[in-house]
Amino acid sequence: MIKDILVCLEGSPSTEAATRIAIGVARACGAQMAGLAIIDEPDIRAGTPTSIGGASYKHERDETLVADAKKLADDWVALFERRCRTAGVPARSLEIVGRPAESILTEMEAHHLTVIGRDANFRFETEEHDRKTLNAILHQAMRPVLLVPETTELELGHTVLVAYDGSHAAKRAITSFAASGIAQGRAVHVATVDDNGVLAREMSERAVAMLRAANVPATAHNIVSILSNIEALFKLAKDLGAGLMVMGAFTRGRLRELFSGSVTRGLVEQTEIPLYLQH
Amino acid sequence: MTYATPTWAVAPFVCYLLLIATLPLFFGAFWEHNRNKLIVAALVSVPVLVYLFGIRVGGGQMLLRTACDYVSFIALLAALFTISGGICLRGSVAGTPRVNSAFMAVGAVLGSLIGTTGASVLLIRPLLRANEHRAYTTHIVVFFIFIVSNGAGLLTPLGDPPLFLGFLRGVPFTWTLRLAAPWALVNGVLLSLFTIIDHIVAAREKRNPRRAAGISHFPASPNEPLHLDGAINLFWLLGIVVVVFVMGTYGTPLFGDSYLRSLVQVLGMLGCGALSLVSTKREIHEANRFNWAPIIEVAVVFIGVFITMIPALSFLGERGASLGITKPWQFFWVSGALSSVLDNAPTYLTFASLAVGVTNSGGATLSVENLGALAFHPLGQHLLEAVSCGAVFMGAITYIGNGPNFIVKAIAEQHHVRMPSFFGYTLWSLAILVPLFGVVSHIFF
Repeated sequence: MIKDILVCLEGSPSTEAATRIAIGVARACGAQMAGLAIIDEPDIRAGTPTSIGGASYKHERDETLVADAKKLADDWVALFERRCRTAGVPARSLEIVGRPAESILTEMEAHHLTVIGRDANFRFETEEHDRKTLNAILHQAMRPVLLVPETTELELGHTVLVAYDGSHAAKRAITSFAASGIAQGRAVHVATVDDNGVLAREMSERAVAMLRAANVPATAHNIVSILSNIEALFKLAKDLGAGLMVMGAFTRGRLRELFSGSVTRGLVEQTEIPLYLQH
Repeated sequence: MTYATPTWAVAPFVCYLLLIATLPLFFGAFWEHNRNKLIVAALVSVPVLVYLFGIRVGGGQMLLRTACDYVSFIALLAALFTISGGICLRGSVAGTPRVNSAFMAVGAVLGSLIGTTGASVLLIRPLLRANEHRAYTTHIVVFFIFIVSNGAGLLTPLGDPPLFLGFLRGVPFTWTLRLAAPWALVNGVLLSLFTIIDHIVAAREKRNPRRAAGISHFPASPNEPLHLDGAINLFWLLGIVVVVFVMGTYGTPLFGDSYLRSLVQVLGMLGCGALSLVSTKREIHEANRFNWAPIIEVAVVFIGVFITMIPALSFLGERGASLGITKPWQFFWVSGALSSVLDNAPTYLTFASLAVGVTNSGGATLSVENLGALAFHPLGQHLLEAVSCGAVFMGAITYIGNGPNFIVKAIAEQHHVRMPSFFGYTLWSLAILVPLFGVVSHIFF
């Protein structure tokens, strides 16, 4: 059962949704929460080509941006603590000065689950979008991540879809999800997409057996579809009314991802429901 | 053929320019301190000083002359910096496309009067403040760099440091006015293009309103009309123009000796700067965040530039046409291309010296010490026009091509304007400026 939830704080609407969902999970599991705000000083102060006479202006810029980032971090932490207090969930907060990906990965080790807004930008002072941090976390994290898009309903919902492809990451996702306590009281469905329906059925039933062994009853689905894997999974999630999808993250090597694309990346970019991901 | 200047003597200059361009990127924390900049400048200067005092005949004299140029150069920059730091544009105005275009147009003229750095620092904060409510402002700052921080400075030696270096080497004060046509073409086209783009962006903002993000660093102020504080500084600015013009035009008949003339010029410029300092209210300096750090940095870095460029300039003056760059359009593009990645002031002098060499290979006997003769030579004047336009205009191609580019970027980012990366900005320039410079090259060179 999850006892510690880490919420990565910043200012986007998806982090607002992530905090809401995290509070819901914490209340259901009796977990305590930690809010993490990051001041990305290394990226703000990073070296850059500077014209003659520009160094003092860069210094002034850096000081201002670091101070702004600190102030925003204070605001987010205060808001997080207020919300947790209102919800009656025990919480503490952290402010770390450092690179976002490294800071989050280090902090994740001490928590059972990390909740992140899908469109979170932890490098907001220097970048318009921050795919780099999320990519690093999803590729390197040893613990599960709950990724929450802005479009998430108020709560996780009563139906969970487990997308299972037989990979080690998918197996780890099922194991940690079954142990998390999130499955309690929810209808769990397992889907495997493959051109060979029999194979897909066998694979999904293996996942169902794994879940059953952990006292999580589940229903198997095999999907043979002319749609892409991503579209087929989204369609089934919609048909089932799923409020959460569970899957292994980046199950193929980066080189294969480069040439044949990544299902994880597609799901992360397009999902309208939270994703429970484990690398 | 034997030359007075050996090839190796140019190496410190090349090396130093590369260090200036790359050290802030790879060793930013090291480069932040002026003491470290001074150490680098001293280290690269050592071989040149050994060459000048130990090998080169008349090397000491060359160094003395260069030292005079350096002091005049820094005195002008310091005086303009002080005076422009005493002027503050206040009041609230909404950043509509018409207002923004007016800002750019004023900056395009002002740049030649108070220097592109002064005009940039004076106008960028009011412009950012006027546009604080807008969601998309990147294009405004990029065009500001194109127009006010670079293109504006072509008309007088006060406009851009390269032109003042030319002036110190004898190019008459009013000679740059002959560049009015390319100045008008470049700034006119950029201003028109900016107006169109800003109209399109503003219309898009109306259709899809999006809140501007970030913490505001502008003081809250009631609606007050736009006005100038510290207007007395316009008088001191006029003083600088008079000093520079009079010393450039009548300095020799009045004072004869070039060192005495330089001294009077420096004292005149510094006097104007000092008068600005004492006559400006403290609150204006505070509003402009005025401090000496930028000018100290410029002074420190340019010590190395001025020392190491001595053999480099004489090398180019001697080799001239043998280097293969002989036509005005070649001077325009090559001096421009180098100005875009190295600082444009030393690049200007480098190519002006090469122009002397090319002109001399046609039978003339010009000196790199006196660019005034080049400015009136039938071929030389075209080469110098090309170098002037290339160095001033193409300084806009990257953030490091001209001093104010990065200053404007840093101030904009401080106010949470999302500025393009180094390469992102260069893509803007390649798409907009390079075709425009192609037209300039075709028409004028």
